[in-house]
Amino acid sequence: MKKNGEKITVLDPIGQPSGVFGSRLDPDSMPWAIHDPANQPRDTAEKLSHLKMAPRLDSLEGKTVYLVNTGFAGGAEFMAEVQDWFTRNKPSVKTELRHKKTSMFTDEPELWAEIKKNGDAAVIGVGG
Amino acid sequence: MENDYGVPTAPIVTSRFADYVQRDGRSHGMHLRWSFPPYPVGFVSKETLHGYVQGNDPISSAPLMEEVLFALTQPLTDAEKNPKIVKRPNRPRLLEPATEENLHRLFLENGWTDGLPIILPTEERVAEMLTGTDHDPQEVIGMMSVTTHEERLQYTVERVAVNAVMAGARPEHFPVILALGASGRPSLPSSTTSFASMMVVNGPIRNEIGMNSGLGALSPVNYANSVIGRAWTLMSINLGDMRPGATFTASTGTTINYNNMCFAENEENSAWEPFHVRKGFKRDESTVSLFRGWNVLTMGLGPATRMLEVMKSIGGPFGGAFTFICDPLVAKSLKNEGYADPMKLSEWLVNELNPRFKRPEMVNFIVAGGEMNPMWVTTDFSYFQSVSIDPWIPKAGIKKDAKPLRMPEPVLCKDGSCGISH
Repeated sequence: MKKNGEKITVLDPIGQPSGVFGSRLDPDSMPWAIHDPANQPRDTAEKLSHLKMAPRLDSLEGKTVYLVNTGFAGGAEFMAEVQDWFTRNKPSVKTELRHKKTSMFTDEPELWAEIKKNGDAAVIGVGG
Repeated sequence: MENDYGVPTAPIVTSRFADYVQRDGRSHGMHLRWSFPPYPVGFVSKETLHGYVQGNDPISSAPLMEEVLFALTQPLTDAEKNPKIVKRPNRPRLLEPATEENLHRLFLENGWTDGLPIILPTEERVAEMLTGTDHDPQEVIGMMSVTTHEERLQYTVERVAVNAVMAGARPEHFPVILALGASGRPSLPSSTTSFASMMVVNGPIRNEIGMNSGLGALSPVNYANSVIGRAWTLMSINLGDMRPGATFTASTGTTINYNNMCFAENEENSAWEPFHVRKGFKRDESTVSLFRGWNVLTMGLGPATRMLEVMKSIGGPFGGAFTFICDPLVAKSLKNEGYADPMKLSEWLVNELNPRFKRPEMVNFIVAGGEMNPMWVTTDFSYFQSVSIDPWIPKAGIKKDAKPLRMPEPVLCKDGSCGISH
């Protein structure tokens, strides 16, 4: 090893960007499978770059808003307060409170399809 | 919801995770319209939650529910309609030359270490580490991320060697470290609950590289156990993109992350088949088995019924995963109880614990220890996988130093008692 302030060269220890992301789990995955690289999906940056946000509504008047509790601690109580807020402040808005059946980590396409069919918008929480 | 179902959505996440989720959204090319109530929302009163909903988002200072209405009704901006994923630049192979002192400072201040002194990965040292395998240094062997959503980093044999050098490992340890890298599994995956990991080595390589499976197998008394376990953590930091607060969210953290409970199974003194054989490998194959959980409780003593009592008292959050680390005396005792096959013991325990939860594979047994006390260590660790080490061993055999580094063997008197009082 070089002493007395002489410069030396070392290798970079950091990994390279791969353009590969984890994303959603299959609906029937075990709750902890999100932490298992063997089970995680591998979406590419190219695929993810095509994700689009949905067009917004002109107004919520007369619309149905689904309130989805993801399952983190306090989520059910918090979303109940959100529903109460709508009842008090936006009585023309119909709200439907739902709780995810599986876990906060897994996809739940049946619920999303129900919201698509019967709802106009969604509020999902509470993360963390 | 936004892309697949076309439903405008307002996601709500507590303010503690504002940076985390905004970065996550951006890395996926979506600028979602978040709203952030104060943290935490769990285990607080109804009145507190009421105040959060009626009050302001502490990040934006705007009324929370006004933000929710805005998120659902205001037309999308051009940036929201045309999101872009920002590509990270490729990393260099070599860092800028600097003095040894400044390089140590660079590694430490960049968060590329575990806080303990490292061996600087010079070209000479990395080249020497690479003699520990026949694989091409530029072969990409895996991808890793401590998070579940952000971009994974990929790495070559050489990048694994860099981290192995930093950990203080020698070429003889490199095949085990490469097997860890090939798993793609970080030892400290990001969770607010502070995951701990464990790694257990089976097969001939244990003794060839001087791993400890006997007295103090889980203690800092063995070179191979120490540096291999540490290398997994350094790989998780550097190859798994671990950045505290950004990609790593362990609230309290755990000291287990320093070494990941790296040890070898005491196959020689076990009354049971080696763990890797029970998982379908041949006895003469070398493997590293990976586990993850949270808690470690020591000082379990007694028969299988006592194990059941302990399990009942510490059921895990997802219904109960347990891995018992048993002194060889325990395995012998349990075999005498009628459990020659530990899977039979797993089946009995699971059935007694919760007949509806019929997953005996969630209860595992490893044998390690010096036969000083018939005790077991209880963990709530889940078994994930066993990775073969053999593909990473050179055809000419494990590359050992002329005089391999070994710490002192445990001192035992000839009759094995050494004055130990029971």
